[in-house]
Amino acid sequence: MARMVSLQQPTTQSHPSFSLLTSSLSDFNGARLQSQLQFKRKLGMQNRGALQVSASSSSNNILIMGGTRFIGIFLSRLLVKEGHQVTLFTRGKAPIAQQLPGESDQDFADFSSKILHLKGDRKDSDFVKTSLAAKGFDVVYDINGREAVEVEPIIEALPNLEQFIYCSSAGVYLKSDLLPHCEVDAVDPKSRHKGKLETESYLESTGVNWTSIRPVYIYGPLNYNPVEEWFFHRLKAGRPIPIPNSGIQMTQLGHVKDLAKAFITVLGNDKASKEVFNISGEKYVTFDGLARACAKAGGFPEPEIIHYNPKEYDFGKKKAFPFRDQHFFASIDKAKHVLGWKPEFDLVEGLTDSYELDFGRGTFRKEADFSTDDIILGKSLVTA
Amino acid sequence: MAAALSSSLTSASSVLFSSSNYPSLPSFSPSQRLCFSHSALSSSYSVSPALFTFPSPRLSATAAVSFSVRAATAAGEKKKVLIVNTNSGGHSIIGFYFAKELLGSGHNVTILTVGEEGSDKMKKPPFNRFSEIVSAGGRTVWGDPPEIGKVLAGETFDVVLDNNGKDLDAVRPVADWAKETGVKQFLFISSAGIYLPTEEPPHVEGDAVKGSAGHVGVEKYMAETFSNWASFRPQYMIGSGNNKDCEEWFFDRIVRNRPVPIPGSGMQLTNISHAKDLSSMLTLAVEKPEAASGNIFNSVSERAVTLDGMAKLCAKAAGLPVEIVHYDPKAIGVDAKKAFPFRNMVQKRSDRATTKPLFLSYEHASEMWIFNVCCCCCCCCCSTSMLSHEQRRKFWDGREPQTCLRI
Repeated sequence: MARMVSLQQPTTQSHPSFSLLTSSLSDFNGARLQSQLQFKRKLGMQNRGALQVSASSSSNNILIMGGTRFIGIFLSRLLVKEGHQVTLFTRGKAPIAQQLPGESDQDFADFSSKILHLKGDRKDSDFVKTSLAAKGFDVVYDINGREAVEVEPIIEALPNLEQFIYCSSAGVYLKSDLLPHCEVDAVDPKSRHKGKLETESYLESTGVNWTSIRPVYIYGPLNYNPVEEWFFHRLKAGRPIPIPNSGIQMTQLGHVKDLAKAFITVLGNDKASKEVFNISGEKYVTFDGLARACAKAGGFPEPEIIHYNPKEYDFGKKKAFPFRDQHFFASIDKAKHVLGWKPEFDLVEGLTDSYELDFGRGTFRKEADFSTDDIILGKSLVTA
Repeated sequence: MAAALSSSLTSASSVLFSSSNYPSLPSFSPSQRLCFSHSALSSSYSVSPALFTFPSPRLSATAAVSFSVRAATAAGEKKKVLIVNTNSGGHSIIGFYFAKELLGSGHNVTILTVGEEGSDKMKKPPFNRFSEIVSAGGRTVWGDPPEIGKVLAGETFDVVLDNNGKDLDAVRPVADWAKETGVKQFLFISSAGIYLPTEEPPHVEGDAVKGSAGHVGVEKYMAETFSNWASFRPQYMIGSGNNKDCEEWFFDRIVRNRPVPIPGSGMQLTNISHAKDLSSMLTLAVEKPEAASGNIFNSVSERAVTLDGMAKLCAKAAGLPVEIVHYDPKAIGVDAKKAFPFRNMVQKRSDRATTKPLFLSYEHASEMWIFNVCCCCCCCCCSTSMLSHEQRRKFWDGREPQTCLRI
């Protein structure tokens, strides 16, 4: 029986609901989990198959701050599959469990019967402190924290916390002419992500066993940041893709499912203790290359790319392009070598996964808005 | 661990463009964008900071190892090494550094330079510094590869490095002679320019290469002929004694307070390695032949740098400010190949061909080097993109080698 679910988003646009597959497990639940389990096997855990994850003595009482929007949706499933008790701390604006595209009814039923909810506003420190203290979690995954002050009550509430795993951002790195960014590189205390930096510092100062993950651009089905969606809208509309400046700016995308696996890999892992890890895709890609990769993923013809000088335009408050106009990529070698983690998805594969499970089914988070494109194209038509 | 790291790392001058922005955050904002010699390896192999991979803050730092002073290798065995060296171009410098490093490690070295000792080419660096090889105990001879059997009649070597040929025609005489005379290990300086262009850098060993590239033929032949062989694919090489003085182009302008004109956006990424780092890699291959055997190694640093970044690095090395001016060569009617020392990628972009950013990264083994930037040698065609070096880990027994980035 198909179930209709719609994702609520704070942006209040109504989105088409997505209908659900009744097919068997998506890659995410199947083969791709295997490699992670093999890793766990080294730690002495039994592995009885891709779906049955042993609930060994290392089963934890885990709290995820957030968990209903993007990363957490995938991460929480992996954790539940591994036999942990998982609670999501959210305001309850979005349903705690929503069936994923490609997720079987049975898997979803299993997940939704096990996932727990702690309803509250994390900005209410007193509530956070008392409610967490009452539950006594072993491990906290902070997926949606932005400021250090939001983390304080969590730390204070859980003096016996075994591990605090934080979703930071590669956006903390100071812009550089020398790339890729490595974990040891200089960070920018003035960046838009300085709250993440301050959180990392705060964690370090508390003496808690923390791990920080710095993703670059995350993509995949259910992405609420219009990364691939931006390109898909234009490709679908048959429109040219306006890319600022040369188009050789180099960036890097990491699939959300690979990121979720990285979050699992650091759980209870001594090698992750008080360490920072960049997590993203294996390869980098230019803006022009990304446009072409999205086209391949969606089965579109090779797009027409228009380069323009953003300084020649006034877009008002609108963003004409979803990426920072600079090189931005990080080395994932530390995670690969220290944790034995590596991304499963290559770029076109990952974009195809996103397309097939999301945009290609008619779902997306933001309606297409070509107004800035038209400003650019209008001018190019005039000057051509 | 990370805290220990940041306090033990040395060299304030290693800070590149972030020195003024240092936040006082613990642990993960050390003042150095760098990596450092692996301490355990340094003691046993005395490697200078190599251009290897993946900085890992969990390894502790050591001071840079001086290039000229070297403890005997823990591997023990001394080898008799022949370097067949080109007599011009960006790769010339490789043989020079390799010879010196091997000699420093106690190996026996002969360097056969193509051509004649009296030729005008020998008046240029590094050849005009060959006395340094001789005084370190090395032997310098001249000749042509097809005549190698006569030039080195009666001699046998354990290891041969061909740092000359760009195709099988040039290398075969050397390879065949080496095989006949019982050379155990054959090494070859190939080129990173042979990778097929990609939209998704970095190139790793194993990525598709151009079938037509001469170097590919050599690599295949080596694999067929020798049981122990290795190929090294560098991108741009720099180092004092460079035959092609491309960094001089930047210095000439910087020291005269002239703007540095860079074609295009200046964002083009490229990769530069110091010849000393490549020579460390080669020396390790000699000292750990089993680990090297059968492998192709990208010989580049783990960071790419933009062309603008290169100009800034030159300025920093010179201790002077720099003014960069970007221009469109086509619009001005200038041939960028003549106007700029690196192959200009900008023009490719407007072709339907894929953009091929050229990656260049800068590594340096000690402070305030006046470095030479190698103009891309002719084999390095414009299609290279950023490289990574997965296989070098084999050398390091599972520990990541570290690289030093200092000015």
